[in-house]
Amino acid sequence: MKLYYFSEMPHHEYPDEEGGKYPSLRLAFPNRFFDREKAASNYQRYLTEYELADRVGFDGLMINEHHSTPSCVNVGANMTAAVLGRTTSRAKLLILGNILPIEDNPVRMAEQIAMADLISGGRVLSGFVRGVGVESWWANSNPVHNRERFEECHDLIMKCWTEPGPFRWEGRHYHFRHVNPWCLPLQKPHPPIWIPGTASPETAVWAGQRGYTYVPFLVPFETARQLFEFYRQGAAEAGRTVTPDNLGFLICAVTADTTEKAREAGKHFVWRMGPTLRGPVEWFSPVGMRSRAGQQFALKARPRSLATMSYDELLAAHFIIAGTPDEVAEGFARVQRELGVGHLLLEAQESRMDHATTMRSIELMGAKVIPAIAKL
Amino acid sequence: MQPHEERIQVGGIAVHTWVGGQGDPLLVLHGAGGNRGWRMWMDRVAERYTVWAPTHPGFGASGSAEWMEGVDDLARFYLWFIEAARLGRPHLLGQSFGGWTAAEIATMSPGAIDRLVLAAAVGLKPEQGEILDVFYHSPQELRLLNVYDPKSIPEWEELFGRAPTPAELEIAERNREMTARLAWKPYMHNPRLAHFLPRVTNPTLVVWGREDKIVPVACGEQYRRAIPNATLTVLERCGHLIPIEQPEAFAKLVLDFLGGEVRR
Repeated sequence: MKLYYFSEMPHHEYPDEEGGKYPSLRLAFPNRFFDREKAASNYQRYLTEYELADRVGFDGLMINEHHSTPSCVNVGANMTAAVLGRTTSRAKLLILGNILPIEDNPVRMAEQIAMADLISGGRVLSGFVRGVGVESWWANSNPVHNRERFEECHDLIMKCWTEPGPFRWEGRHYHFRHVNPWCLPLQKPHPPIWIPGTASPETAVWAGQRGYTYVPFLVPFETARQLFEFYRQGAAEAGRTVTPDNLGFLICAVTADTTEKAREAGKHFVWRMGPTLRGPVEWFSPVGMRSRAGQQFALKARPRSLATMSYDELLAAHFIIAGTPDEVAEGFARVQRELGVGHLLLEAQESRMDHATTMRSIELMGAKVIPAIAKL
Repeated sequence: MQPHEERIQVGGIAVHTWVGGQGDPLLVLHGAGGNRGWRMWMDRVAERYTVWAPTHPGFGASGSAEWMEGVDDLARFYLWFIEAARLGRPHLLGQSFGGWTAAEIATMSPGAIDRLVLAAAVGLKPEQGEILDVFYHSPQELRLLNVYDPKSIPEWEELFGRAPTPAELEIAERNREMTARLAWKPYMHNPRLAHFLPRVTNPTLVVWGREDKIVPVACGEQYRRAIPNATLTVLERCGHLIPIEQPEAFAKLVLDFLGGEVRR
């Protein structure tokens, strides 16, 4: 099983009582609380942590993107991939991912991903996501068109990478009279495609039909198994065999020299389960964004919101794994036994987890956990 | 004619329509909240006019139209509806989102309609203030933002007095989706509409509630200024749902304006 290091690059640099005054930290929390100096030094810090993760042997570095929220100030996944393409040397760069429905120019996106792949020597894993509703608000992209735009944007990017230009694209949402990008990925014909999932059965089927690597995020094991079933259904329709390499899973994890220290550090993950996801349902899931099937599956699949779970409950359910290297290795092995995945993505820094704690966790993962996991 | 429901076929879409009353046809276009059925104000107006109250495609019990992209599509569709239902040259009344649609229809084909009533119509960018973002709020919040005083509304209990059934929730969701499809961006207005309004020389009544928290009264003034033969009436102690909030006053305004006079 391969391990991936991930930080949301949070900006938890304001008094929590201020954040609590607004209906949500996303969209509504005013950016006068954005601390420019702290942000500047945090980017250096977060990139340094990614670079250490590369050196100690993580198989990949996962990068994501969100907008209008202190929970993630990585506002340009391809920009981060390009930076890490120069400052790291061996780990895959897992962009998970570019938010397709809110993109107005898929050709430019195809070019940017290609450029990151070229700069990194062909290390990009190209994830595509639909985004949470907040991103649709941020971009003012009609949520009713979210799935259609996701698929059409994907189709155009793939055509950029697989068919010679120039060609014309006249779709429903995208219109380009002259497509001929002079920047193509180093990997032929294109970087591997990854797709995350939280609740949409259609996305799982769609990814399975195409053989893309499919990664549920922070869902109970049982939900992940159901989503993998949808994935297998799609794969079977297309006559594809599903191997562990097609499947991944994302959890939060931190290690330290003692159980106590690790458990203390792990508390920082609670922020991302509750406060950063607080807000009106209309903001996270605006009208039309989710299909009826997706809504029904979501209702069934996640009876309890993560926000209502205590730290101990989150640990018990393996949403968070925090312990000594031996303990987290055992936790990861459990995930592997439960789900049979080939990729484990670790959200390994959050909230106010400090640099020293984060660096030590990365070091210990490299020295003790990664070797133990490599056998799985 | 007792009010009854029909399905009128237009361009392959079955348009669910309430029809009732007697006299010249009055086409009534509902707001983003959907077709609320045969209401008290319609009963009054139906004493002298035949009310045709269709449910927009994509809303309620009407067929889908996922191909539509904007209110101009809906307006062209209703010009077709007028022919398909053989309404001749009906009076046209639209409320809120339906008011915007009515204004678009009037600019496209002023000769296809007789008199025009716009009640708290969206469609123009307010010179002052903003149109409330209805997608940003929950249906529960909107219900109260929509009206001035629920207690003064005779049909409040009937319309909102109990928890909606799953089927009603499904319809509400469908209505919101279709509204988003047509009016997400630019939000609830057409930047080009004002340029065409001077073409509408039909006698026009613009009605607003003084306490409208959804669409600023400024928009009513803008419609009045842009349409050559328009008058503006502002009702006191009234919010955005004018026909529901003040059914008697609204029906009287409409009847006085339409006048029952001989059609030109």
